[in-house]
Amino acid sequence: MKSRSAYLYLLPVLIGFTVFTLGPVMASLYLSLTHYEIAAAPVFVGLLNYKQLLNEQLFWQVVGNTFYYAFLYVPLSVGVSLALALLLEKKIRGITFFRTVYFLPVVTSMVAAAIIWTWIYNGDIGLLNYLLSLFGINGPKWLQNPHWALPAIALMSVWKNAGYNMMIFLAGLANIPTDYHEAARLDGASSFARFREITLPLISPVLFFVLVVTTIGAFQVFEQTYVMTNGGPGTSTLTLSYYIWQTAFSFFNLGSASALGYLFFIIVLVMTAIQFQVRKRWVYQS
Amino acid sequence: MSNESILAGGTRWRKVARYSLLVTLALIMLGPFLWMIVTSLESPEVLVQFPPQFIPRNPRFSNYSEVFGELPIATFFFNSIKISVLGTIGEVIAASLAAFAFARMEFQGKKWIFSLLLATMMIPFQVTMIPVYMIMRSLGWLDSHASLIIPHFFGGAFASGAFGVFLLRQFFESIPKELEDASRIDGASRFRFFVTILLPLSKPALAVLSLFVFMGIWNDLLTPVLFLSTEEKMPLTFGLAVLETVQHNFRYDLLMAGTLLSVAPILLLYVFAQRYVTDAFLRAGVKG
Repeated sequence: MKSRSAYLYLLPVLIGFTVFTLGPVMASLYLSLTHYEIAAAPVFVGLLNYKQLLNEQLFWQVVGNTFYYAFLYVPLSVGVSLALALLLEKKIRGITFFRTVYFLPVVTSMVAAAIIWTWIYNGDIGLLNYLLSLFGINGPKWLQNPHWALPAIALMSVWKNAGYNMMIFLAGLANIPTDYHEAARLDGASSFARFREITLPLISPVLFFVLVVTTIGAFQVFEQTYVMTNGGPGTSTLTLSYYIWQTAFSFFNLGSASALGYLFFIIVLVMTAIQFQVRKRWVYQS
Repeated sequence: MSNESILAGGTRWRKVARYSLLVTLALIMLGPFLWMIVTSLESPEVLVQFPPQFIPRNPRFSNYSEVFGELPIATFFFNSIKISVLGTIGEVIAASLAAFAFARMEFQGKKWIFSLLLATMMIPFQVTMIPVYMIMRSLGWLDSHASLIIPHFFGGAFASGAFGVFLLRQFFESIPKELEDASRIDGASRFRFFVTILLPLSKPALAVLSLFVFMGIWNDLLTPVLFLSTEEKMPLTFGLAVLETVQHNFRYDLLMAGTLLSVAPILLLYVFAQRYVTDAFLRAGVKG
């Protein structure tokens, strides 16, 4: 039975989708082909913005920074989340307490987390360098050092977000029938063997989902650099989404910013497509 | 017998190892929060000392009143509440209407529209940001809370909207269809069934969605920074970012006091509602 009234129920969401997503996606494709500074009307220039960006050394550095950040952040973040979930998988005393504590940073705003960690990372009187000094290590000025600033931001982001993927992994682990483990245990399989042969294949679809979403999230890193470094020192923490922001709202070059947005979109799509391609090789299908 | 005790010994060892790891990780997760509390109670003279003091000898609660004097924290707080509450109401209404259509009705293009909505989750906000900014400008909503609230009544314009539709659709589908048939036989309209029967039955799912949407809006920095410019309009996140640039590298006592004031409400909300959050994750359980 087809019903027309369904569209009435869908109306708000469809209006929102058209006005705030579909329309803007197309508008920004057009804007990317124009020279547009906020005061005057956009002037069509064809592919000029793209050509200029691709010939710009800074653009490639920003792309490099973004990939470097994802390279640091994604494996560490997914690994820590999975480890947390495995630790909390069994019914143990205090499980609610630990789960709640590990999730607290997720609930905190990124701004607040970034401010707290800027203080912890302080090169002279920060907590981290104090703790390192107890082990005789002379810590760098984390956020003022071009080599350490991006890793420091990645580490802080792992702390902030690990609890979220932990929850998703916990849900995945809860779906594994316990008799699989029981049977393997009776057969004398070690816990590592059980992890490799049972747990890992059975949660590989969840792992895949987490990897894809975490990678997309990593490419969008923005608030951390906005609060902690403004892209500096130099351009060492300038990532794509912050660069788009700067181009649009500090330099008011909206045409170029739109082109950057599209290049960014293409990179995210290609990365996701690659992950889906590789999927067949390692994700277990029952 | 001896074999068994060896096994028990093994598990005891394992238990000790597991708990020490759990506690260490808990300290790492909690540490920054505790450090924030400690710092917020120190005097500026103590803060520049190295090694740092871990327990404030004379806790300075005046830091908190000083923050209130420095910035209109109460106004920020009120703005955050207003934007988050109204935005959450709007998004939950829009999402439940759409989810009802997807869960219970057949219509032309259903599959197509649904996948299109899902696909929007893939589009980074950086792609739509500039046109959305221009739309807000032409609507005259720049530097007004309308830009941050009204889009949520249309399904949450910025990325997260589809998530709610998805979550609620799943829940609505789990409610037996016979209930609807029965209420229709009694002469109730479909809309009436939706409002008086389906929604009350879906309270757990609605609560979870509200919680997620509320936290998302409360913690958002990007859209307030994009649309707002006057201080009296700012939510806590934006105000905090401003406080950070004003106070950069000095008076961390004040900065931490302000940060604590901004995170306390949401942390408390979570601690009370944590059971529902966990349930939501376990129920949504992603399947490849």
